[in-house]
Amino acid sequence: MTMAIDGAQLELYFSGYSSTTTTATISTENDHDRGGNWNGWSPMVDWEALSGPLDDFQDLIDSMMDDGALMNQSNRLTPDTSNSMSASGTVIVDEETSCGDDLKGLRLVHLLIAAAEALTGLNKNRDLARVILVRLKELVSPNDGTNMERLAAYFTDALQGLLEGTGGIHSNKHHSETNNGPYHHHHRDDPQQRHHQSDVLGAFQLLQDMSPYVKFGHFTANQAILEAVADDRRIHIVDYDIMEGIQWASLMQALVSRKGGRPTPHLRITALSRSGSSRRFIGTVQETGRRLVAFAASIGLPFSFHQCRLDSDETFRPSALKLVRGEALVMNCMLHLPHFSYRAPDSVTSFLSGAKTLNPRLLTMVEEEVGPIGDGGFVGRFMDSLHHYSAFYDSLEAGFPMQGLARGLVERVILGPRISWSLARIYRVRGEEACPWGVWLAAGGFQPVKVSFANHCQAKLLLGVFNDGYRVEEVASNRLVLGWKSRRLLSASIWTSPSDPDL
Amino acid sequence: MRFEFSRGSSQRGDRFFPSHQQSNDQVAAIDMQSNSSATTNKNQPQTSHTSTSRSSDSGEACGGGNKWASKLLSECARAISEKDSSKIHHLLWMLNELASPYGDCDQKLASYFLQALFCKATDSGQRCFKTLATVAEKSHSFDSARKLILKFQEVSPWTTFGHVASNGAILEALDGESKLHIIDISNTFCTQWPTLLEALATRNDETPRLKLTVVVTAGIVKSVMKEVGQRMEKFARLMGVPFEFNVISGLNHIGELTKEGLGVREDEAVAINCVGALRRVEVDERSSVIQLLRSLSPRVVTIVEEEADFSSSRYDFVRCFEECLRFYTLYFEMLEESFVPTSNERLMLERESSRNIVRVLACDEENGGGECERRERGIQWSGRLREAFSPVGFSDDVVDDVRALLKRYKSGWALVLAQGDNHESGIYLTWKEEPVVWASAWKP
Repeated sequence: MTMAIDGAQLELYFSGYSSTTTTATISTENDHDRGGNWNGWSPMVDWEALSGPLDDFQDLIDSMMDDGALMNQSNRLTPDTSNSMSASGTVIVDEETSCGDDLKGLRLVHLLIAAAEALTGLNKNRDLARVILVRLKELVSPNDGTNMERLAAYFTDALQGLLEGTGGIHSNKHHSETNNGPYHHHHRDDPQQRHHQSDVLGAFQLLQDMSPYVKFGHFTANQAILEAVADDRRIHIVDYDIMEGIQWASLMQALVSRKGGRPTPHLRITALSRSGSSRRFIGTVQETGRRLVAFAASIGLPFSFHQCRLDSDETFRPSALKLVRGEALVMNCMLHLPHFSYRAPDSVTSFLSGAKTLNPRLLTMVEEEVGPIGDGGFVGRFMDSLHHYSAFYDSLEAGFPMQGLARGLVERVILGPRISWSLARIYRVRGEEACPWGVWLAAGGFQPVKVSFANHCQAKLLLGVFNDGYRVEEVASNRLVLGWKSRRLLSASIWTSPSDPDL
Repeated sequence: MRFEFSRGSSQRGDRFFPSHQQSNDQVAAIDMQSNSSATTNKNQPQTSHTSTSRSSDSGEACGGGNKWASKLLSECARAISEKDSSKIHHLLWMLNELASPYGDCDQKLASYFLQALFCKATDSGQRCFKTLATVAEKSHSFDSARKLILKFQEVSPWTTFGHVASNGAILEALDGESKLHIIDISNTFCTQWPTLLEALATRNDETPRLKLTVVVTAGIVKSVMKEVGQRMEKFARLMGVPFEFNVISGLNHIGELTKEGLGVREDEAVAINCVGALRRVEVDERSSVIQLLRSLSPRVVTIVEEEADFSSSRYDFVRCFEECLRFYTLYFEMLEESFVPTSNERLMLERESSRNIVRVLACDEENGGGECERRERGIQWSGRLREAFSPVGFSDDVVDDVRALLKRYKSGWALVLAQGDNHESGIYLTWKEEPVVWASAWKP
């Protein structure tokens, strides 16, 4: 059943963002669907838990064994005649071919998984994990090589952190206070390298220019909000993690230019702020507020900004909010956007539970999409994480194959730390069931709100600006998922509270 | 450190370790054995146990069951025995990634045992061993062999322990005889004999004639024996000992030895010296070889062997593997602590071990060629030897001499006497309280 597209609602929100235009370069070659064949690449995982054919890999290893190529892949064996390791005719793998790249990538994946296994598996062996990580460090660098090699560098670093116990990310520790990227002990330039503000802003800008991740989350949420409050005069948005507030710029603009003769509503935004965290690089919540106030003034939108301070344990107390009778309440929960800080599950739970008691008109949730885990435990989730970020890297490369330095910056400043946090989180909760927040919301009685046809179209149009490897799927009536090729990456879902009579 | 001078005839203890006063000629010949040069660098008393630095940052000692290499290797051996193909593949791959013959102890063990496991899994042990042996032979020369032996004897009593004990027993057993015939079944490049020749020369009574018949089985040794013989003859001349030297190298295995072939004459007093010889005999032929030795009517038989059991478990791959790993972990650790880190000699000894490991773990039994390498422990050899011989204990003098020898090396070495019950006999060299070499003497 097609819905008539309401032209008023089909506005694109690009204009509120950066001035540089994004040109999508469509890559004709380079279609290694690295996202697709992961399951066949490791011999060691319990295949009951993770489905996937084993045959491709077995053949590969068999051929390696027969040729004795296995023995020659170690490039540290010097061609020393007095102790030839080759028992039979040998095949030297030429590592300069792309075949070599793939083999190297394969090797790195195996080593990473072996390290993850050694760290947490049934036969836990920290000594073995240490040795594998040493080997990995010899093979990879965060700056050079293929996507897989750079990705492996960050994963190696993350695992190293877990092994040493220093990479543990505490729930309220801020992004810039933690392990800032790979080899921060070995970095040639500055062992105490921290991300400078300009680096972070630059990386964030680049991320937005090069990929639709940030915009997808914002636009989908904003469109749903606009539709839900179309006839309201007072709107109150409670934002769990406002960051730099860029989501709201375009929403505000859309409110001001509402068609159909509706008067411009009054917008109130309450941002949760955390005590004790010094957001050195993004700026404080106050700064965000000031910026939004100034922007609202400049476009003539009635606007007020509030902060709701959380305690150090980040418990959200709904009573701390200032509510006004008659306003449409929207709870906005952006998690896991690439440049976002890590938020502890307890904090999110607290927010969502509190949200329920407030009976909001709408609750928008954007979160990372993880793959099916089964009983894979840490290793399974590790592999999934590897898959996830590999798709991420691939998506960036596909769009901007020549801009290696730019991508490198994004990887270093944004993705690298994310990888560390992801792994730390997975490590800490291993043995427990990982539950997407959408599932939590459904179980908690929140009602799904259908994603409108217009919203879906908007998402498709957005992706069309970028590389055609991006996909948007409507996996549920209230949920859109952004993916790269066959890998789902980011989920945006819309909810309302159970007792709301309007919907 | 001062040596303990032995009681009884002459200052034999001192004579085993020539001091700097010797003439250049003697040094030239004697430099085949240990301790020829100044002793300063060897006198490291028990206080300083310097261990070489490890390449891994944690600086842990290698060996012991908690290390990654032994765990992976054992797992792989089990997987091979269970024919668990995917596990084998995975472990071999992982070992290959992490191993290196130039790394720390763990990496080396991983590398060499990986080679053997790979050969076992792919049934290519025979081929691999032959290749390794051929290559090693080609790259050996008299000079390199000499340098290797000298260095090893300088930093470790692993070989000199057996030499000193055996010489002591031989000299005591042949005391008073005028025509001596020593049958040396070993691959030691005759490094054992200069001190014995010296001892013979310095006796108060008339110097006996010595005929030395060396039976070599290792290919590497065969090629250099000519030069070794020339040096021995020259040295004997200098010592003033009537000397005759023969080499027997054409045998496929020791069982082919005959009295006539060895040139044993009725008026000779025969001593048979077996250093690392019995382990090279195929397990099923060991009894008959011992009977053969008996048939030569020796006055004394000296046996030196490394203390490990690769024989009783030879049909149980995993058990054999574990024992092999245990022994060579000790050996490699000993090498690492005895040599300097950049030592080429150590590398060559490790490679020799790698060939033995392949031979034991990945080659089938029916092979011949005298390269069996299935060691047995002293107690096992004792059991075999008792079928034809009875044990001769080492005299106190000899034991003192050996203890004096050990004091010249880094701490960690000790001498332990066999218990005497369970048909045990002989003495053990221990390193870090693990018995590693066994020496014993027997008579008919």
